[in-house]
Parts: sequence; C-alpha cells; structure tokens
Amino acid sequence: MSATARQWLERIRALPLPDRVRIMNVCGGHERSISMAGLRGTLPPQVELIPGPGCPVCVCPEEDVYHAMQIALQDPEVIVVSFGDMLRVPVNLPLKETRSLEQAKAAGGDVRPVASPTEAVEIARANPGRRVVFFAAGFETTTAPVAAMLAGDPPENLLVLLAGRRTWPAVAMLLESEDRSFDALIAPGHVATVMGPEEWDFVVEQHRLPAAVAGFHPESLLAATYSVLRQLVEGKCFLDNCYPEVARPGGNATARRFLDETMDVIDAGWRGIGTIPASGYGLREHLAARDARRHFPDYGAHDRKRAGLMPKGCDCARVVLGKIYPNQCRIYGSACTPRTPVGPCMVSDEGACRIWWSNGIRTREVA
Amino acid sequence: MCLGIPMQVVAVDGFMARCEAKGVERDVSLFMMQDEPVAVGEYVMVHVGYAIQKMTEQEARSAWEIYDEMLGDVAEA
Repeated sequence: MSATARQWLERIRALPLPDRVRIMNVCGGHERSISMAGLRGTLPPQVELIPGPGCPVCVCPEEDVYHAMQIALQDPEVIVVSFGDMLRVPVNLPLKETRSLEQAKAAGGDVRPVASPTEAVEIARANPGRRVVFFAAGFETTTAPVAAMLAGDPPENLLVLLAGRRTWPAVAMLLESEDRSFDALIAPGHVATVMGPEEWDFVVEQHRLPAAVAGFHPESLLAATYSVLRQLVEGKCFLDNCYPEVARPGGNATARRFLDETMDVIDAGWRGIGTIPASGYGLREHLAARDARRHFPDYGAHDRKRAGLMPKGCDCARVVLGKIYPNQCRIYGSACTPRTPVGPCMVSDEGACRIWWSNGIRTREVA
Repeated sequence: MCLGIPMQVVAVDGFMARCEAKGVERDVSLFMMQDEPVAVGEYVMVHVGYAIQKMTEQEARSAWEIYDEMLGDVAEA
C-alpha cells in the first residue's frame, strides 16, 4: 500500500530542507490537482511549487489561431474544428474586430468544438462535399491521438492544421537559460505514459536536477515532491517514477509509432517565448494532401500589429516560463478574468491563471 | 482537453470501445492500444477520446475520487 497524503506530508516536514526550494511542474493537470487540493498551503514554507509550461493552449502561436480564424472566415464552405479551449483564445486585433474562433463562428464561419479527433473524423464523414480543417494544438498526450487518427486513414476531406508541441524541449530550454527559476522538476505523468519516463532522464543526467514523474492524485504529487526534496537533501539525483502503474518504461509503443509515421519533429514557435528547437510536430511529406498549411494562404503571416505576441500588458509569457506566479501578472483579476480573458492562461482550463482564479485566488501580488 | 479520465470498458467493437466512468458512457478509440489488447471489464486512461494505457481498478477508483478525496485528506493532514 502506498502512503497517504498525510504520511507523505509528515515525511516532507521531517526533511532538513534548505531555505528555499522551487519545484516546477509542467502540466496543467498537475497544477489543477495542486491548487484544488491546496497542497501549497500544507507544505513547509520553504517549498515553492511553480507552474511552468504546462498549457498547450497558452503557448499555441497567436498566428496559428489567426490562421484558423481566417480559414473559417474566408470560405464558409470550410468547417474548422478545434478543441473547445482554442475557440476562446483572443488574437491581437482591435476589440471591435473578430478576435477569436468563437467570434469567427458568430461572424458566419463554420467553427465547431470537438472533444476528440474521432469527432473531427465523424464531422468529415458527415460532410463529404466540404473540407474539414482540424486545428490541433496540444502536447504529446493530444498529438499522439491526432497521429493515431491520421494513421487510421480518415476521410480525404479532413485536413489538419497542426500545432502540436513536445514538452521536454521547453524544459530543456529553461534549464539551459542563465536565470533558471527552479531547483527540481515534477515531470508530467501522462506525457510520460505516452512517450516513456526516459524522456526526462536528461534533467538528471545533463543538469543534475532532482526529478520525479507524478500522477494526478495528491498522494502521487506529494510522493514526487518528497522524492525530489529528498534527492536534493541527500545530493543524489535520479529520475523517480511516482506513477509507475501507468507511466511505464518506453511509454505507449503504438502511440509513438503513429507519431513517427505521421509527423516530423520540427523547430516550433511558442507564443510569447519564441522558437524552441525540436519542440514541435509537423505533418510528414506523405501527408501533404492533408496539411492545411499547404492548402490555404498563410493568413497568419500578415503584418498585423503585435502579431504573434502576447496581448499588451499581459504577462502570460512570464507565467508560462515560471518566472512569476499567475497572480503576479499586471492585469490578473483586473483587466483579465475568466469572463473576459485577455491572455491565453486565463482562457484555458489548463492555464495557470484560470486554475488559480477558479481556486479562489482573487488578489494580485506584486512580483 | 488534456485531462485524463479513467474509464471501464463495457463493450469492444474492433478498435472502438464503449467505456463508462461514474455512470457516463462514451465511445473510446483503442487504436493506440494495439500492442496491448483491451478486454471488457478492464480499465483504461482516456485522453481526448483515445485510450493511452491500461490501469488497475484500484488506480481508476482512486483517480475518480480525486476531487472529493484530496480535499478531505489534506484538510486532515
């Protein structure tokens, strides 16, 4: 039997901790569990849990959202489908203009939310005379199902506007930066389930940082927290796996094979952050006929003001990088709330700002 | 969209499965489980409509209880 949350907390409290330890997580699901369970309030004050780049909606290029909107607006015969969160992300246009996929729908575009790639396939089947563009943003857990969908030979009228991203290269970039903002890593449980926990070995081997893969239950997160703290205290780093039943060695071999067969690893842009080498997925050459980027003009490349940037005044980029906490953003809770989100971190259910707000943190702090 | 949901398989038809969690049923693709076939009664972790891995009943139950349990556990701690 694994220890209970209380037992993990007791073990953590018994450790001779240094004055300050910053543990980053890179998964919206982890951040949601941490916030909902109130784990921050139960840990010793030296231990900081920092939400990092764990929200694929937040880092999806603004140009790609604009591109998807224009595809829907320019040709009403095209159906644009995307995960629900993506529909509400505003692009950088004046307030009176059409600024999101949701608004593009209101303006006459055929835009539909989907919860799964299988729904995109169903919509394409039901509309054989129309092109269906699946705007697919997401990390490995979402991109692998998109790859599986492509490997399953979907209808020919289904195209993909792919904005898939790989998690570990963003963490590698943070670890290589001069002002590294964390001392240990809690690695994402479901990314490790698909890709294999070994992907995170580099944190330990190349950067000598404690790391542990965690599941989503507070017990698993506290076990991982205890593991990295103990590694730090004892000066012995290794990649621990606190989600071994699900995140197994080698990950899901079938899912990885589909990713390899359908997608190339490419350098990719992260909104507000810039290009990160080998951090994205692009459709392979043999799927060119399905690549929406090849079938429509590159609407995203227009010379709009602030194209690609975070909105004015919005600190989402620094939140995503774990440089500041969500409520240290200059517009958290004032200009930016879930009802009227400015930045993507307040839009998405996986955005750290949205999660913190939903869990009752309503006051802004000065960074 | 990135939230994993543990579900129990109630019927399998080729690469599609009818799965249930807390009284809600959904169609789930087993296309990514080809190296590890899934049978009726087993539990899978589901992401955006695709099973990504098998799990035990105990793991599934503890994940379902996540929201109720975590608050209680930590409040007591």
